Amino acid sequence: MLTYILRRILVFIPTLIAITLLGFVIMVSAPGDPVERMVVAAQSGGEISSQTANQTEQKKFWNKKLGLDLPIFYISLNTLAQCDTLYRIYDKNERESLSRLTTEFGNWPEISAYYASLDALNKEHVNVRVDSASVVGYSLDDAKSAINESYFESSALKASYNLVVINAKLENLTELYKPAYMSKLREKLDAVKQRFKEIEQTATPWKKYIPALNYYPQNQYHRWIFGDGNWLTGKGSEFTKGIIRGDFGTSYTTKMPISEVISIKIFWSFFFTMISVVLGYLVSIPLGIQSAVKKGSRFDRITTVLLFILYSVPSFWLATLLLMTFANPDVLHWFPASGIEPVRGFPEGAGFFEVWSGRAEYLVLPIISYTYSSFAFLSRTMRVSMLEIVNQDYIRTARAKGLSERTVIYKHALRNALLPIITVFANIFPVSIGGSVILEVIFTIPGMGSEVFNAIVNQNYPMIITVFTITGVLTLIGYLVSDILYAVVDPRISYK
Amino acid sequence: MSEDKHKSFSFRAYAWAQFKKNKPAYFSLWVLGILALIAIFAPIIANDQPLYASYKGHTLFPAFSFKNNYQLQMSDGSTEKVQLDIARWKQMELETVIWAPVPYAPNKSDFYNSDYKSPSGEQFFKDKSGKKVPMPGRFRHRLGTNKKGEDVLSGLIHASRISLTIGIISMGIATIIGLIMGALAGYFGDSKLVTTRGRFWVFIFGLVLAYYYGFMIRGDILADAIGTSGFSILLQLFVSILIFTAVAYLFNLIGKLIGKLPFLNVQTNIPVDSFISRLIEILISIPGMILIISIAAVAKPSIINLMLIIGLTRWTGIARFTRAEFLKIRNLEYIQAGQSLGFSEARIIFKHALPNGVAPAFVAIAFGVAAAILIESSLSFLGVGVPPDVVTWGSLLSSGRQAFQAWWLVIFPGFAIFITVTVYNLLGEGLRDALDPRLKT
Repeated sequence: MLTYILRRILVFIPTLIAITLLGFVIMVSAPGDPVERMVVAAQSGGEISSQTANQTEQKKFWNKKLGLDLPIFYISLNTLAQCDTLYRIYDKNERESLSRLTTEFGNWPEISAYYASLDALNKEHVNVRVDSASVVGYSLDDAKSAINESYFESSALKASYNLVVINAKLENLTELYKPAYMSKLREKLDAVKQRFKEIEQTATPWKKYIPALNYYPQNQYHRWIFGDGNWLTGKGSEFTKGIIRGDFGTSYTTKMPISEVISIKIFWSFFFTMISVVLGYLVSIPLGIQSAVKKGSRFDRITTVLLFILYSVPSFWLATLLLMTFANPDVLHWFPASGIEPVRGFPEGAGFFEVWSGRAEYLVLPIISYTYSSFAFLSRTMRVSMLEIVNQDYIRTARAKGLSERTVIYKHALRNALLPIITVFANIFPVSIGGSVILEVIFTIPGMGSEVFNAIVNQNYPMIITVFTITGVLTLIGYLVSDILYAVVDPRISYK
Repeated sequence: MSEDKHKSFSFRAYAWAQFKKNKPAYFSLWVLGILALIAIFAPIIANDQPLYASYKGHTLFPAFSFKNNYQLQMSDGSTEKVQLDIARWKQMELETVIWAPVPYAPNKSDFYNSDYKSPSGEQFFKDKSGKKVPMPGRFRHRLGTNKKGEDVLSGLIHASRISLTIGIISMGIATIIGLIMGALAGYFGDSKLVTTRGRFWVFIFGLVLAYYYGFMIRGDILADAIGTSGFSILLQLFVSILIFTAVAYLFNLIGKLIGKLPFLNVQTNIPVDSFISRLIEILISIPGMILIISIAAVAKPSIINLMLIIGLTRWTGIARFTRAEFLKIRNLEYIQAGQSLGFSEARIIFKHALPNGVAPAFVAIAFGVAAAILIESSLSFLGVGVPPDVVTWGSLLSSGRQAFQAWWLVIFPGFAIFITVTVYNLLGEGLRDALDPRLKT
């Protein structure tokens, strides 16, 4: 038995790793640049703009804070042409355009020199003096807008990888730098052009057909899991302690720590799941027994059909129908249409009883919607497992002994018939957490599901991945517990 | 005579007879057929363009036309241009006309009947002179309209195409993966796939390189394709898979040669079954709905992406059924006969064993289609992963949530989902009963 449990736990670990990996892959492939999001959020919030004045510094800071200055994973398969320190470039678009250029030409040193010269050109714009002394022959406003335009053009050039686009932009810049006061820029541009020519001349495109394998002990995945300090003790961490210590990062929208948000929201998700599972069991076990014992009777046939129909009714349809019927001023206004408690809240110092009786009318419809799907499924499972048991020899023996039908069913049959139902618990529990997204949205319950929905609307990816990881781990634990429970409870199975 | 005898013992005929006895399942097959017909002929059943019209002496078939406009030569020598999708057919002077049974398109507003017109309530019609008159019976919105005045019945009919294609194509992907995985795991088990050490490692190395040449080098091309359209994704993916297969095959051949060298020619088992079973275990442990929502939130909203996501995550049931069946089949005599005749493993698995081992997978497929349709409608109800301009049962139902007085927006789409899901579930139950060998007497 112990070896079985140990073996089961050993299988648990790779699955856990697989779930975190999957979550990580989804997070990494999310569109958009998280640094960009954070800089925008910070500007409106005014958090670090006081510390570091210019935006580049901000970008660098968030890049470091989010750990994006690290390679993605422990090992990376790349082309020989590709530079293995490309991840240090903090702008996502520029990083990508450089990566594409390298793939095309295969000579990283030259491309790096080109990028450096471009960067120098871009920075030079700050040093250009635009005043009446330096600008001759042009109006001051024109000069200013010209400088602005060329600044944006050179920034755009940094993120371009299409040769046609690059050449067009170089042409355009040459045109823009004609005035005398831009002579310094012109020199820099000549250097850029020179570098670009060198790239084309020394191109080694064959390099992209040769793979190269790199290993990075410090990387984004490692940091996400273990934090940026010591991986075992978590000491010395600067920005994140890692999900292993419950640090899931920062929400893009509220900039609160995600673990804090989750710990607030998880209560209602758990509440409804637990209530629905308990109610589901309370209803479905007697129902399943009755219809199995009276197999073929009218009661059995009606419940079977009814349960089948219930089983196929989409939960979101039922929930909407319930709201439409019982929370609709035009039909029956028995229950409020949304939320889990009165909007105005409860008076200061309201007692436990007062709070929950105030909430009761809000909870009725959600609980019905949560419960019915698990109960349809449970009753069907219960009926099938009871039917299998009832036909077995030992039940016939018990009947032959002259035991009352009641004793036979509830004492001899029920125990064994309950076994599959126990294991089903593991399936229902995570499903009701995950599947409740839609119900929480319909009833506006402030739980994890509606949090995920809001996160999707606001593209708050860390939140989505956190909920994914947490439900994944909960599911795994559910399976683990139910497997072990099964092994413990069922005397017929031996795990030697 | 022998032909007859063979027929009378055919499992297929037996299963079909069993299936036919199951009245609800047999009935659901009929319902499914009708649903499929509705989906196939949706543009003819519900269309705001007439099926046939004669206009100023011209005979037109607007609903069947591939072009979007007609250049009509008038008797006075002038030409009149008729743009099919924006022409106001109901106000045109048509001599004779045959309308589609539902004379409305799913995405077009009927301004006289906007703001939730009930099926039974008052509806209005713009007659040929442009006056607002009570709705003639032929043009009633039989299942009402939504806020924008779009016909609900037409939306339902057209949305059946989306639900059915998503269900079928995503399960098609899942079936291919599931059958192959299940067949390999069940046929080879942990000990039957024996190869040489050299060949094994060369092949593993080859797989890495195949991935490199198929997908890594082409990464930029694939990324660009994903940004453009559904078709080019499939095309580029196909090219990548082709390169992948070619490189893998090449290394397989090299491995065969290298496997003949000393030390590298030691025989080893490949634990195919353990590997695939672990993979299935991992996939099952991942909360499906949350996984699909997460991926759908990150990927671009498109129907094809949705099919891929559902297909790639929902093959485990099929694989498990097939695996169990292959565990039985691999010990049967005809397989041994094939082996002793020297047939290749691939030929035995896919040509001999698979046709006989595929039956149980049908059960999983039927339930899978029901689940896929449910997932699609849940996602479009939430508005995640499905483009906002596509009318689906889920999105119609969701639009009813904003106005509960419009009960027809909640009842009818929900009922459509319910019927389709039930039909597939019944089909699955029927198949299970018909194919379950334990019921054989």
